Amino acid sequence: MSDVVGLVIGTDDATPLEFWVAVADGSHLQLDDVVAVTRVLPDGERINLYGIVSQVRARHEGVRFDSDVFLVAEGRLPAEVSEAAQIQLTRVAPETFVPPLPGAEVRRATGTERDAALDLEDVERRLPAGLSRNDEPIYLDLDFVDGTKGAHVNISGISGVATKTSYATFLLYSLFNSGVLGSEAMHAKGLIFNVKGEDLLFLDHPNAHLDPDQRRRYSALGLEAAPFGSVGVLAPPRSGDPNATPATSSRASGVRPFFWTIADFCEQQLLPFLFADAEDERQQYTIVVQSVTAQLAQCARQSTAPDGAVRIDKTTVRDFRTLVEVIESKLASDNPDPRWTGRAVGAGTVGAFIRRLHASVRHVEHLIRADIGDAPDHAIDLDSQQVTVVDIHRLHDRAKRFVVGVVLRQAFEAKEASGSAKPLQFIVLDELNKYAPSDSGSPIKEILLDVAERGRSLGVILIGAQQTASEVERRVVANSAVRAVGRLDSAEARRDQYGFLPPVQRQRATILKPGSLYVAQPRLPVPLLVEFPFPAWATRPAEADRSQAPSGRGPTQPDDPFEGLS
Amino acid sequence: MEAWAPEYGLPADPDHLEDPSGAVDLGVELAAGQWSPITPAGAAEPPGCVVFVDGVQRIDARIWITDGDRTRPGVCASVAAGAVRCEGSAARIADPRVFRGVYAAVSDAAGPIVTRHGAYELVPCAGDAPDSLHNGIRNQMTRLEAQLAADGADLVVFDGPLRGRADAKGVGFVKTHQVGYLPDGEQRVLTALEAGQRTPLFLIGGAGVTRWSWYLRLPGPVIHPLSGVVRCELPGTGTVNEARVRADEISAALPRFASEPHKEARAPQNLYPIAGLEADLRRRLGDREILERALRLAAH
Repeated sequence: MSDVVGLVIGTDDATPLEFWVAVADGSHLQLDDVVAVTRVLPDGERINLYGIVSQVRARHEGVRFDSDVFLVAEGRLPAEVSEAAQIQLTRVAPETFVPPLPGAEVRRATGTERDAALDLEDVERRLPAGLSRNDEPIYLDLDFVDGTKGAHVNISGISGVATKTSYATFLLYSLFNSGVLGSEAMHAKGLIFNVKGEDLLFLDHPNAHLDPDQRRRYSALGLEAAPFGSVGVLAPPRSGDPNATPATSSRASGVRPFFWTIADFCEQQLLPFLFADAEDERQQYTIVVQSVTAQLAQCARQSTAPDGAVRIDKTTVRDFRTLVEVIESKLASDNPDPRWTGRAVGAGTVGAFIRRLHASVRHVEHLIRADIGDAPDHAIDLDSQQVTVVDIHRLHDRAKRFVVGVVLRQAFEAKEASGSAKPLQFIVLDELNKYAPSDSGSPIKEILLDVAERGRSLGVILIGAQQTASEVERRVVANSAVRAVGRLDSAEARRDQYGFLPPVQRQRATILKPGSLYVAQPRLPVPLLVEFPFPAWATRPAEADRSQAPSGRGPTQPDDPFEGLS
Repeated sequence: MEAWAPEYGLPADPDHLEDPSGAVDLGVELAAGQWSPITPAGAAEPPGCVVFVDGVQRIDARIWITDGDRTRPGVCASVAAGAVRCEGSAARIADPRVFRGVYAAVSDAAGPIVTRHGAYELVPCAGDAPDSLHNGIRNQMTRLEAQLAADGADLVVFDGPLRGRADAKGVGFVKTHQVGYLPDGEQRVLTALEAGQRTPLFLIGGAGVTRWSWYLRLPGPVIHPLSGVVRCELPGTGTVNEARVRADEISAALPRFASEPHKEARAPQNLYPIAGLEADLRRRLGDREILERALRLAAH
């Protein structure tokens, strides 16, 4: 069951948290290997110390100078090569924190001992999280994902290495398809915001580039290499298109447009989400926003047409531009209506509000409209499919914030209203730094904070991602039980937000290759290096296997699926 | 057990204890008076496997053995011997051995001392005198060196004089010059040696144990007339011609291993492999204070 790979050395301090192992002749240890060592106490109790290799070193023994290596290489000076590995403790069982003794035999942990080392023995619900470097499965304890003991996943890493979003979707796939959720898997829902390219619009298409090797990696994890089963794709309507056909270039079928009617906008009080910029919060006009929002809600309650139009005074408002004009007339006339402006608000503040509102018109007018007949079909409905992809990559930043804020609130309020944590609602959101910046407030940030802090009990689980955790509100990251780190910029890696990475891992995080991350979970004091399989679903139009669809194009498959991305 | 630290009263370096007796025959290769430096021709191929043999010794504790009414001095010492095989681009330490012993004159009270770090075996010496004890240690070290295998070696370099070893491939390598073998005339040839050059052979020793010997200057800075000069010894067997060819081969092979002053205090005479071997052997002797403590515990 165990094979000895070396002995604990006595020339460096061995501590219960960290020790060095001299690697025996004919053996080797590499980074991330899992090892075990036993210490027998005087009373006969056996203490097992488990750890992973965090550093390996080799050096000449018996020589004093660096340049002696030349003499050794020429055969003029005798020297021994010694190889040693640094072990970081993952677990002590039973919990008696004594150091291993120099000379103690260190064995490679495999099978049940590896489970013990990774504290998986009593984990009943194991969420496949990826593979170790030697292709053994690594699991997360679902209790720390689904809200039982903890919730939320946060992923950091520089963009362009195809890791953050891919891993978020992989986790979602694993959640829904590994069977770890049991019967709940049927009802659990996923909401994904597509923020970059049309990458996530093909989750239900098999990946034409998936080779048998990658398929094996899926089966090693107990997963089927298949695309997502039940996916609904929503895209904003084309600007200026009276029929509101969805604006996607690569995917034509199965995409529904989404927008809000004027009535939705007024009733659901969506106006504040147009003022979600970082600078908005510091402005005086938030009081105007509140007043106008209240007035619009009141108007909508009084008169709403079946097609979603709202009658304000004598004007029937069918599009956003008209709505802005009506609001303007209420505020900026010679005799502004104090119910709309709010009390004791100066003309300058009102002017600032109107300028801001005007600026937003061309970015959101195609999203807020009552000029289409079958308006109710275009609401965002998270329940009719398992995974809902909301495409916002073409939208202006202001419109992105609006959509994300409104949809998040909708999802959150629905869960609040249902009063039950089950079924779970998973939300995948990249670029958290835009929506919950560390240095300012906004309505969206409030919702994200709500999700982070109360979502655990409400069954709303955020799988958030960002390039730099340092730019994201601390509480959003801190509430994530599971944290993953892909490749980091070396300056970013030094920040406090990555304090959970020990120095060696922090250094290695700057050279992680695409498809691998460090995953820190509450059960283990050391983050584990995880490689996840290449997505079994298409992550860009060229990968989509459209054997059933027209225009099946795509380049030949590269040897390294991540090639060119580092 | 002696309370004084063991360093006190250490013997001279065993290298120094050369045998000054016996005749010296200068005229075996070139007639005396016609000496001049010789540039060794060297073998067509340098030796493929050179083995260096050396030993180290250390006194761990001085003891007093109570034998009836008499109290006799004794010494606890550790000796180690090993060999370095330099073959191609690899220098490996082979077959290192450590021996710990109690050196004392034969008496009923003398016996081995068992400590928690190993046993010191009794080595009977000729007498109580310090010289007898020290000879006992040195002889034990030589015995240990003699056990080392040097199979397949083209050249076996013993650190120090041959001291009776008669390995056909062996050469004694003497770093220091306690005994002047050469009269003044030949001494001038010695100081005139260039790096890599050797003196003509001379035959030393008497009473049947003769050795061919010559001086060789190793490469390195010349600070005084004898800088880098070592003396080599071959067993005094065979013809002059055979000895001459062998001396040329050896003189050509050794400079490669000469050390440099910034790395080795006794450069260039203390050859790199020997320096490395000595460091390794000293390490294998163990920590003196640990052993001294173990001896003190065992003596109580």
